Amino acid sequence: MSPRPEVLGGESPIPATADTPSPEPASDVWNAEIEPGQAESIGQRVVFSTTLKARDFLKISLVNGFLNIITLTLYRFWGKTEVRRRVWRSIRVNDEAFEYTGRGKELFFGFLLASLLLGVPFLAFVFAVQFLDERFSLLLLPLYLFGFWLWGFGMFTAFRYMASRTTWRGIRFVLFGSASTYGFLWLGMQVANGMTFGWIQPVFERLLAEQVWNHMRFGDRPFRWNQGRSERIGLYGPFAMGWFGTLVVSVVALIVIGVVIAGNQALFGDLFNEAQAGAEGNTKAGPVSPEFLLVAMIYGAILMLLPIWALIWSPYHAAVLRSITAGISLDEARFDMEAGALSLWWLTCTNIVMIVFSLGLLMPLVQARTARYLARRLRSIGNARLDEAHQAPPGPRTAEGLADAFGFSLI
Amino acid sequence: MQGLYYDGLESTAHPAEVQLEAGNLIIEADGQVLTWSATDLFVDVHADQARLSRRGSDARLVLPASDWQRLSAGRASLRRNSAAGGRGLVIGLMVAAAATALVVFVGMPMASGPLARATPLTYESQMGESYNAQISVIFPRCAGEEGQDVLQRLADRLSAQSGSPFPIQARVVRAPMINAFALPGGHILITGDLIDAAESPDEVAGVLAHEIAHVERRHVMQSVWRSLGAGMLLDLVVGGGTGAGQQAVLLAGQASELSFGRQAEAEADEIGRVLLHRQGLSSRGMGDFFVRMAEEEIDAPDQVDEVSEWWMTHPNTERRIAAARAAQQDGASALSQQEWETLRSTCRSDQGEDARRPRLPIVVGRPRNDPMPNEPQQVGQH
Repeated sequence: MSPRPEVLGGESPIPATADTPSPEPASDVWNAEIEPGQAESIGQRVVFSTTLKARDFLKISLVNGFLNIITLTLYRFWGKTEVRRRVWRSIRVNDEAFEYTGRGKELFFGFLLASLLLGVPFLAFVFAVQFLDERFSLLLLPLYLFGFWLWGFGMFTAFRYMASRTTWRGIRFVLFGSASTYGFLWLGMQVANGMTFGWIQPVFERLLAEQVWNHMRFGDRPFRWNQGRSERIGLYGPFAMGWFGTLVVSVVALIVIGVVIAGNQALFGDLFNEAQAGAEGNTKAGPVSPEFLLVAMIYGAILMLLPIWALIWSPYHAAVLRSITAGISLDEARFDMEAGALSLWWLTCTNIVMIVFSLGLLMPLVQARTARYLARRLRSIGNARLDEAHQAPPGPRTAEGLADAFGFSLI
Repeated sequence: MQGLYYDGLESTAHPAEVQLEAGNLIIEADGQVLTWSATDLFVDVHADQARLSRRGSDARLVLPASDWQRLSAGRASLRRNSAAGGRGLVIGLMVAAAATALVVFVGMPMASGPLARATPLTYESQMGESYNAQISVIFPRCAGEEGQDVLQRLADRLSAQSGSPFPIQARVVRAPMINAFALPGGHILITGDLIDAAESPDEVAGVLAHEIAHVERRHVMQSVWRSLGAGMLLDLVVGGGTGAGQQAVLLAGQASELSFGRQAEAEADEIGRVLLHRQGLSSRGMGDFFVRMAEEEIDAPDQVDEVSEWWMTHPNTERRIAAARAAQQDGASALSQQEWETLRSTCRSDQGEDARRPRLPIVVGRPRNDPMPNEPQQVGQH
């Protein structure tokens, strides 16, 4: 028997029609937004389901890793594309799978183009500073800021490319809007974050999401961004928890490290004595130096602190996921991400362990787990006219080169 | 067999009757009959669905996977929809990778010498001034001008018969490490800690001659060309990612650079000894210094930060010691006792500033023929 997709909340994957009333909204937030009669308007309910099994990505992780090594990583464009194709086809709306139609060579040519666009000016700058006049180094600050803008620009073009290569029922998604504006917003976020110690971040999370979702379409059906609905899920409470929590944990960690270092002589007295004796030529010193122990302790402390930091920030990151999802609508359909802090924390920690211990080899597996996490928690209320979308124009021929050059990739 | 047909123009699902006849897929939907040649088909079977498409078309046909498997049984020619690429792609990429590796690991190192020699001297001088201005902030010049003069005179003597295209400008700098550097354009920096750690003027002369040889051979310029050419090419190929494959490739690049660095060090040793011999100076100091640095690294792990700094930038210990011992010749001392004492005092007036800097002590054994018997045994800790 063929496997069936996992349906969220045990609901039927059969698309609802105008005759099928929508289920109760997931929360009060949604109730507040639904006006009487709206849920029964024309269109269909949007039911997400997934057939994604993370373990299915183990083999492709190993194969991609091997091919990356023997091709000096040039295979990565094709490997990444195949991973996306497998993730996309495993996520369904109303029992109809998404499809990723991107090609490895599109990523490859985008990368070549970006290398040219980034590499030539960079070389010219290095040449000018080193060989012509060191005053050219004054250009460093504007170039640094330009780099932030370019990063945002690259992210948006990557979104645009991925949207254009995502189809459902053969109809493309399309992202209009300005990559340049997104770049300036990204630059603004970096500067403003620096001036506010990060406290402006929640504002920019929504501004950036608005730039994407207000310009996204399924065929000719536009998505909409609703700031009010997004703001109903507060970000500043969890952010404050993360910010002050980080402060407290950092101070406590510094105190603990300070105490350990102060007590180093007592804790590692034998090793110190051995080292000193070696220095004075009395005996041969031991193989482990106190400095090495200190470095090992610092790395150990960071590894121990990582889950704590992830725990402190997981309420915020979960709130961002919920808030951004809440701001998105398609026709009368609104969306809800049931991401909890603890589940997100567990996902983050286990993903980090997988990446660290596999030296990044299991990245496709980690991406599949993350996609599954999101797909299983994505719900919708209200109807969307999914049957009425018309085909969108073709997307860009190449893209994502900048994102690849910066090492940025959603998946 | 029943399926759903999407025409690629609208998202409406059209119930369809599907048959496979004579190598063609016959699709009947909304009263229309469509014929898709099986040779054009791309098939993606996943979970309970089979998704069929044709290249260049947005139309899709979705069938129950079990029905499709029954229908297509025995037809091996149907193409599986995959972005992974075939054997041809992988072989092509391996060839491209091999060509890149050839350029990075062989071509650029071979070309770096001629490229360095072809670089206009004014460019290298300008570059050296830029480096020098930056490094002077980090490692300031020691205040003892008489000692600086002693070092410069020794540098002038050694470089007089060298082929250096640049005038040598040597100086002693304050830095928490035992090391010496040659910058582009003829600037040579020797740390005060190295002079403190040296047990004879011949050891300092050996180090100085070695650095002059780097200037003469334009090794720094060669390294610049390698990092600009091979390094950037490698960075570009692997992109900005942090995966295992990317890190492995970058590590290979660093290993190649280290290997080239070893060749340059060996060459600088050899030319340095020639420079010493041309002036009738002893080259024993070079080997003595190497041996002691190696011994101290093994015997005194609490000095590892200072001493290993030397070996990180001057690798290939055993072979260099052996070569130094084999080629060393006796000769005159590089400096008089008075000049040596003056040189050793170059950074003494900077003690106040040094004392404020956190640093590790370095302990060296007193040699049998210690030229400064009244000096404190612990040096490098002012």
